[in-house]
Amino acid sequence: MKNKILIASFLIFNISFLFRAHAQCDTIASVCAKHILAPYISDGQQYRALLMADQNAEFHTTFYGGGTYRIAACSGLKDGNLVLSVYDDERNLLFTNKEYKNAPYWDFKVKSTLDVILEATLDGAQSGCAVVLIGFKQ
Amino acid sequence: MKKRFFSLTNLFIIPVCIVLFSCNGGKEEEKVEKQINKMLDSNNVALGVSGKMFIIPSPIQTAMLIQKSGAQYNKSMLNGTDKSNSYSTKFQKCLNLGIYGADLGYTTLYDQTQDALTYFNATNKIATDLGLTSAFDKNLIQRFQKNLGTKDSMLVLVSAAYRASNDFLKNNERNEEAALIIAGGWIETLNFALNVQKTKGNDDIKRRIADQKNTLKNLISLLSAYSGNEEYTELLQKLNDLRTEYDKVEYKYKFEQPVTDEVNKTTTITSKSDVVISPENIQTISDKIAAIRTLITA
Repeated sequence: MKNKILIASFLIFNISFLFRAHAQCDTIASVCAKHILAPYISDGQQYRALLMADQNAEFHTTFYGGGTYRIAACSGLKDGNLVLSVYDDERNLLFTNKEYKNAPYWDFKVKSTLDVILEATLDGAQSGCAVVLIGFKQ
Repeated sequence: MKKRFFSLTNLFIIPVCIVLFSCNGGKEEEKVEKQINKMLDSNNVALGVSGKMFIIPSPIQTAMLIQKSGAQYNKSMLNGTDKSNSYSTKFQKCLNLGIYGADLGYTTLYDQTQDALTYFNATNKIATDLGLTSAFDKNLIQRFQKNLGTKDSMLVLVSAAYRASNDFLKNNERNEEAALIIAGGWIETLNFALNVQKTKGNDDIKRRIADQKNTLKNLISLLSAYSGNEEYTELLQKLNDLRTEYDKVEYKYKFEQPVTDEVNKTTTITSKSDVVISPENIQTISDKIAAIRTLITA
């Protein structure tokens, strides 16, 4: 019986977390979109992940040579809650906003096409929604 | 620990689990955990693969490169809007919405106002059929008409419509439709690049064609999540066949330390990559993409 109560509590916690986090995601995405302004053009998508403190989200994409990209990374209603690290596909670190007060956006000039991994981790919060947006210009 | 991509469907499945497992004795926690992991993993497949999300670059980027190459506007490359009424299944509508969306981006980049309006209407029609009315609302349509001829504003609006469609589909657990729209856009833009390469080709376009090797792999992973659906069989077969050709494209990469300018919040990625793609490769890729496009647009 004790086990069943524990299981039920665990599940109820998860359900409540999911409801809250999904609602948060919409708001965070709207707030984050303010970082992708002209001359950057949004790629037209939002990349979201519901995270716990010990989790990270990985987004794999390609940066084309000759392009300039703006990556916005947000969690919560204030800037600076999300650690965003950018790796190449050999896992060499190209950038982390942790060294720049978790800056909510950063620009990348790309000399030569490469596949990158955008890794998002919450900074401090126990749970939350991570939103990553991508803009580009030629 | 890798994140898991959650979905609202879990909210309904998880309570069912409570009922199911409350009837079983012993090792309930282990069983529940396994079941939850299974559900979450299946949802990962819907959005990405193994807890990773694969992002297909925007087709507008390649359309921009084509325009920059000096290639003339070529309407014959586009999918005729007269066919927009003939797509009957959700599968056809979504793929062709992606194709018309890429065509709309192309006409916009070339300042072809009348054609842009025609493609906007075709896109709007299919989007409405798919129930994406909130993405193509009255306000967006009015803004688009008002900004006809103002390329930069129209590009932003095209992008906004694309994002609104994508958000709507994902928020409503319609990831499959979102994936098909993305696939359509990717196929159409690669077809543009291959056509231009034949007439006004240059090293940048050739490179961009070769650069699709990894994106194709990601796209196949994304669509394979729905391979149980019969409509996908031929498309996936043809995409896998295309991948076999792309496997012949050689890719070399050398990491170099990036340079970061803190004041301007900019990092220059200086790593170098090279590709080797032969004219025969390009011709075969072109033939295969043309066949895939015909399968979708016919």
